[in-house]
Amino acid sequence: MLNLFKIEWIKIKSYRTFWVLFLAFLIFYPVAFYFSASKYMETRDLSLQENALKAFLNVPFIFPKVWHAAAWFGGLFFVIIGMLFILLITNEVQYRTHRQNIIDGWSRGDFLKAKFSLLLFFVIISTGLVFLCGLLVGLSFSPANTNIFEGVQYVGYFALMAVLYLMVAYLVAIFVKRTGLSIIIYFAIVCIVDNTLWLVLTLNNSQIGYFMPLEAADSLVTNPFKPAIMERRTVSDYTLIVAAVIYISVYGYAIINYFRKADLKT
Amino acid sequence: MSILQIDKLSKNYGSIKALNQVSFSVPKGTVFGILGPNGSGKTTLLGIVMDILKASGGSYSWAGQQSTYELRKHIGTLLETPNFYHYLSAEDNLKIAAKIKGRGEEDIDKVLQVVNLYERKRSKFSSYSLGMKQRLAIASTLLGDPDILVFDEPTNGLDPAGIAEIRELIKELNRKGKTIIMASHILDEVEKVCTHVAIIQKGVLKTVGSVKDVMSNSGESTGAVEVLLIEVAADNIALLQQALQEMNGVIAAESTGSELLLTCDETIGAAQINKFCFDKGIVLTRLNVKRKSLETRFLEITGNQSDR
Repeated sequence: MLNLFKIEWIKIKSYRTFWVLFLAFLIFYPVAFYFSASKYMETRDLSLQENALKAFLNVPFIFPKVWHAAAWFGGLFFVIIGMLFILLITNEVQYRTHRQNIIDGWSRGDFLKAKFSLLLFFVIISTGLVFLCGLLVGLSFSPANTNIFEGVQYVGYFALMAVLYLMVAYLVAIFVKRTGLSIIIYFAIVCIVDNTLWLVLTLNNSQIGYFMPLEAADSLVTNPFKPAIMERRTVSDYTLIVAAVIYISVYGYAIINYFRKADLKT
Repeated sequence: MSILQIDKLSKNYGSIKALNQVSFSVPKGTVFGILGPNGSGKTTLLGIVMDILKASGGSYSWAGQQSTYELRKHIGTLLETPNFYHYLSAEDNLKIAAKIKGRGEEDIDKVLQVVNLYERKRSKFSSYSLGMKQRLAIASTLLGDPDILVFDEPTNGLDPAGIAEIRELIKELNRKGKTIIMASHILDEVEKVCTHVAIIQKGVLKTVGSVKDVMSNSGESTGAVEVLLIEVAADNIALLQQALQEMNGVIAAESTGSELLLTCDETIGAAQINKFCFDKGIVLTRLNVKRKSLETRFLEITGNQSDR
């Protein structure tokens, strides 16, 4: 897997679009998170009511809730990585290099594993960044003597969410092949289809909405500004984790099954 | 020993049969041409044996083994068009190919020199001309010095000097004992370079064998007899024509104005004709033995139409 990643790295290290999008995530997410935190935590001119409201909302920028907020903010910006991942797969079809890689001696499985190594790279880097952002913002604004690592499981939830989002991107890119169309379909799934299904099902007082393809992981990292009292979810985190893992496996199976038998055309 | 054995290979796209039960084998050490009009199924055939297309039926094996990706690492292949990362340099593109093949990077400069791209190795692929792209693709096939090379239309996009260089390169590779499989619709190219040929039309194998056999073959498909074409000339063409029409073995002697085109059977050759004329007191000013051209055979076999 490491050798496959080294080859993928040669492919992307001189690719300007990769750096533009990757750095956009690496810079905008921490800046936006820190900026939001510092604005939120400005207490000088706040009225009593606002401070009371903050307490009620369970301040999301101090330990332990900062991990939750860091994961949620990371998720907002992670669609950039989803788009980048699609681009790196559909580029191969556009340049017909997916054919050439196989001709040169990769198995079809090698090609898929190489892209999966890229997926892991994005997940590891972004999860590390979520951890760092949570830690730094938490340390900056939390009172002393707090338990730093309480709630750190949200970093793990982010990693699961990142894998799920990229597996959906992977599936769309492999099946649709065209860059523009793949990105449009991906955004439609991420922003519209999944959320609409969730909303409709949840408003009907059903818990099924939490098991929608992306919502399974999204629901683990809800909006940290939403008061706990508004939470309607009763299914456990554990159940959602299992659902997300099942989705990841199903997407993986669909990708392998399709690519193994497909004619590699443009 | 055959390098590639193809057995009843078929490929259907819906109701269209791109390949229909094609079988042949490629002997070791040959330059094997796959010849056919545009759209005849040549690239489809090569795509299947390189595992980027899946056959609808039949099978193939490389050197007696079922195809595996490990085997492909030892075959240099240029299929259809040069496929490279547009934003990478020639050198980085070849690094990727070399790493996939499990080779070191030490070959890269050498193969770039072979195709005259060494000076431009740091230029982006997107800045290359069509001919340069094609030469880079050929360089890539040479990585790791493979014993088998597969070229699909290798002289595509090259200028006349480039075409001559690549043909010479193919012959040179063959002299070193490499087996070369080459698909082309350019008859002249196959005739000049190949030792063996398979002619495909509309996905059906029409004939296969050594170029010599195919050209002189009595041909199951045509019933033509083996003939030799000889161009001759003398100061007095009319006298020459009259004399040669009486010679045994000459089937026809047609005047083209300044010379005669003799159609002969296999019992006579240039020496006999020269002696025959000299004995008749005629001095030949021209004597040129032409094999029956592959183009003639190709058109006999395939008719005069493209498959598109």
